[in-house]
Amino acid sequence: MTFRDLLPLLPLMLPALTAVAILLLLAFHRSHRLTAWLAAGGLAAALLLIPFACEGAPRRFGALLVVDGCALFYTGIIMAAALAVAAFSYGYLARRRGHVEEFYVLLLLATTGGAVLTASSHFATFFLGLEVLTVALYTLIAYERGAFGIEAGVKYLVLAAVSTAALLFGVALIYAELGTMEFSKIASLLDAGAPVSLLMPAGVALILVGVGFKLALTPFHLWAPDVYQGAPAPTAAFLSTVSKGAVFAAAMRYLVPLDLPSHRSLWLAVAALAVVSMLAGNLLALRQGNIRRVLAYSSIAHMGYLAAMLLTGSPLATAAAMFYLLAYFVTSLGAWGVIAALSEKEGDAERIEDYRGLAGRHPWLAGALTLMLLSLAGMPLTAGFISKFFLLTAGVEGRLWAPMAALLLGSAIGIFYYVRIIAMLFAPQEDAPPVRATHWAAGAAIGALVLLLIALGVYPAPVLAIIQSLIAASS
Amino acid sequence: MILALLIILPLAAGPLAWLTGRWSRSAPRWISLAAMALDLALAVALWIHGPMETSWGWIPQLGIGFTLSLDGLSILMVALTAFLGVIAVAASWKEIKDRVGFFHFNLMWTLAGITGVFLASDLLLFYFFWELMLVPMYFLFLWGQEKRSAAGMKFLIYTQSSGLLMLLAILVLYFMHAGATGVYTFDYAALLQTPAAGPAANMLMFGFFIAFAVKMGVPPFHGWLPDAYTHAPTAGTLLLAGLMAKTGAYGLLRFVLPLFPEQALQFAPMGMALGAAAILYGGLMAFSQTDLKRMVAYTSISHMGFVLLGIFAPTAQSQQGAVILMLGHGAATGALFVMAGALQERLGTRELGRMGGLWETAPRMGGTMLFLALALMGLPGTANFIGEFLVLVGAWRTSIPLATVAALGMILSVIYALWMIQRVFQGPNRENWKFPDFSLRETVAAAAMIGVVLWIGLYPKPISTAAGPVLDRTMPRADLSAQDEGGEP
Amino acid sequence: MATLWPLAVYLGATLAIVAGIVTLSYLLGERHEGKARGEPYESGILQTTSARLRVSAKFYLVAMFFVIFDVETAFVLAWAVSFRATGWAGYAAAMIFIGILLVALVYLWRAGALDWGTSPNRKRSCNETGKQNGST
Repeated sequence: MTFRDLLPLLPLMLPALTAVAILLLLAFHRSHRLTAWLAAGGLAAALLLIPFACEGAPRRFGALLVVDGCALFYTGIIMAAALAVAAFSYGYLARRRGHVEEFYVLLLLATTGGAVLTASSHFATFFLGLEVLTVALYTLIAYERGAFGIEAGVKYLVLAAVSTAALLFGVALIYAELGTMEFSKIASLLDAGAPVSLLMPAGVALILVGVGFKLALTPFHLWAPDVYQGAPAPTAAFLSTVSKGAVFAAAMRYLVPLDLPSHRSLWLAVAALAVVSMLAGNLLALRQGNIRRVLAYSSIAHMGYLAAMLLTGSPLATAAAMFYLLAYFVTSLGAWGVIAALSEKEGDAERIEDYRGLAGRHPWLAGALTLMLLSLAGMPLTAGFISKFFLLTAGVEGRLWAPMAALLLGSAIGIFYYVRIIAMLFAPQEDAPPVRATHWAAGAAIGALVLLLIALGVYPAPVLAIIQSLIAASS
Repeated sequence: MILALLIILPLAAGPLAWLTGRWSRSAPRWISLAAMALDLALAVALWIHGPMETSWGWIPQLGIGFTLSLDGLSILMVALTAFLGVIAVAASWKEIKDRVGFFHFNLMWTLAGITGVFLASDLLLFYFFWELMLVPMYFLFLWGQEKRSAAGMKFLIYTQSSGLLMLLAILVLYFMHAGATGVYTFDYAALLQTPAAGPAANMLMFGFFIAFAVKMGVPPFHGWLPDAYTHAPTAGTLLLAGLMAKTGAYGLLRFVLPLFPEQALQFAPMGMALGAAAILYGGLMAFSQTDLKRMVAYTSISHMGFVLLGIFAPTAQSQQGAVILMLGHGAATGALFVMAGALQERLGTRELGRMGGLWETAPRMGGTMLFLALALMGLPGTANFIGEFLVLVGAWRTSIPLATVAALGMILSVIYALWMIQRVFQGPNRENWKFPDFSLRETVAAAAMIGVVLWIGLYPKPISTAAGPVLDRTMPRADLSAQDEGGEP
Repeated sequence: MATLWPLAVYLGATLAIVAGIVTLSYLLGERHEGKARGEPYESGILQTTSARLRVSAKFYLVAMFFVIFDVETAFVLAWAVSFRATGWAGYAAAMIFIGILLVALVYLWRAGALDWGTSPNRKRSCNETGKQNGST
């Protein structure tokens, strides 16, 4: 096995290696700055390797991993997102007591898990990636040991364990039925018309439960608001982007070859999950007074929009989903980045009321948050507009009338709560708390995200061309 | 490129105004004024030059182009936009005192969005601009009156959700076109070639119609309008009434009738009825208002009813009348809102009950208001007269009862316009108001708007030569009996 | 069905014997009523504290060490069985695995997780373990 053979795998391995290296470093020397630089360096190197890795793609590593263009695309946005989270973390953690360096180790591990998920072609790697991601997240969520942090951590632990058990059981049922755990073999067996008993739909349903939990699709969303509220802001950013994106990528990989439209009951189940998530997420967000909970519910709705793309499996839908995920990553990271930058030593900026008059105190941060919220609402000139348009286009092409109607309804509801926050940002304020400087790393990350948001919203053609070429190469 | 410049000018002036607003209060005003004046000059030059079109690729994978085209109909609207843009900057010169830079940024971007709507010749690009103007417009409500946040939210939700319906309709149309021809494109000219057919086409037409009707404020889609018009700042109201309502009417002329000719003709009687109902409803509601701005808002609903009536009585005269009325209403009602804003600035109230006898102290304002009231009731010599007259002539040929109802509306307009003058400027000055009359800036702005109303009223020929051919080329015409083949007015 | 009857007889016999023993000891056994009858220590020694102890977090650590290194043993044993079949690639993989565990051990050692009782490092290890069990 030469270096060239390993090259496609290198972006997946680098974060893990960095994590081990940092662990070793921490044994002898503790320095927040050095640790952060190392973590960022590892992630950046992985990110830079991806174009080179693309040359060796697609490449199979046994039955377990397939590193193809799509997997590298997802890995790339996961690495970039982790890099942004690391940038937010530095300033955020520097304001806190206790050991903060291990945060980066866990972050890198979780990122590795996510990257493995996107490249998995076998239930074993799927599960492995999921667990590495989830176990690291338990600690990341409870990293700040406040009452809410512990509550969030325990809630996530218990529910994630239950959902993982369900997922494993589903995998076992499918294995019992078909005798294989490889995604492509499962798809080809089903295509060939292998006789299946009730075990098969039961297994798929259980896997849907596990995936639905990770994506926080209604009715498996109950953990999301509490965890988003209790977790440190950078963790929440990670949770709402990398964790969901990786699982969604894996779900695409697993469900699209299954040709969902030809399995009526399965199709209906996913459609119901998507529609209910869109409506419930948007409706429940209406009455929240805490910006973290608003973002949690909004993310539930957005995952519902995305899940609708699983229903057609056309190349356009896949491209739309990939673009949407990219736009959602940029937007969600930006919004959480602003929250992290505004969080004080004691407690985070949480209540929407805390944001009153932000435009006067922090014009740049307020402007960034405004753009992010507008993008979540799907307003033009932001990535959210174009991505929602792609989604609708793919939905209309696939004749998904009910999900698209729910999407329109959800967007119409959504605009209310996003704009309510924006109005708060620009409302006048009497006694302003003191202005605190944002750390340059977080500022740079937010600035880059804003630029990306606008670039994607104004001229998406190059990115779309890349995505379409990746899909054409993979299929 | 020149067409893009029409949009780029305000788009670039916005951030510039915002940035300079950090150091100077007057710089944003001058920058915006210069941008809109240049825009106006450019628009006039293009009017003389004639139609043109530019096209760049935007998202070629889905057949979306950055296609702008300028024909007789759009140049009128673009010129109106630039003109009212200048007025809007002038009208907010003294009114806006805090965050001047940000205000002008929003003003410029709203105007850029509106200009884009009038120029876009690609359905997605059109939708892009259609949505683009919403957010800066919403921000303009920040400088508004008492219930500004609720009014802004209402405006945003109504227009955004109806816009989403239109987007859905656009997408279905796109796939229908692709299904029929195999070509995936959002290009307006291409979509025009394959008229939508089948039962779905009706739904599609409604998707477009509802979005446009909401913007025009046609009852029953007008729920947002009175509040928004009342509580927006003067420049905001000017944009809402003078321009955004026109984007709705323009959309009907540009998209609903040409893209869905059969369905629109079937729907025409309903559309006319809605228009007539709007005329009566707006007129009657205008009576019962005690708030000057709100009253003008309802008269605006009534006039947009005339426009709707003219568009859906698909005759050459009525549609030309509708276009003239759009321009006239933009200038006259816009001026009335500026007037209301100026009065509020001076009196601190919009209550009609507290006004009265203001003529003594502000004769120039009184004279302006009197002229505007005459325009409102459609006195010959004003643009509104020509417009309403042509609409009525056209509507009469299609439906005599509805034309009669609309004519009743004209009588109503005489009553409420005179009643308005009576309550504001005549009678005793019970509260002893004393305030400065129109300043030079305001006088010039008012004179310009009066000038436009008079010009169109006395010499509408340039309008009809610009818009007429476009309408004749693209509009479906009801098959009226051959006897009255419509000629030039 | 026919083959099941011995099982049924066996089950019945078991139940009968257990029931018989319990019944007999109930009927024949002695019974006492006394003040200290309900105490944990029938000898009369009084209980000094509650039975609910705070277990030192060290036990948590022991459990973690067990999981980490016992699982390592399981993997290494599996590798040893297939040593020849997996060849150098397997050797490299096992070395990576052991190396990572080694790094983890070094980390835990330096963090003070291996320090028991009172030692100069005690304070540090308290902080360290506190992170895991959520106190402090």
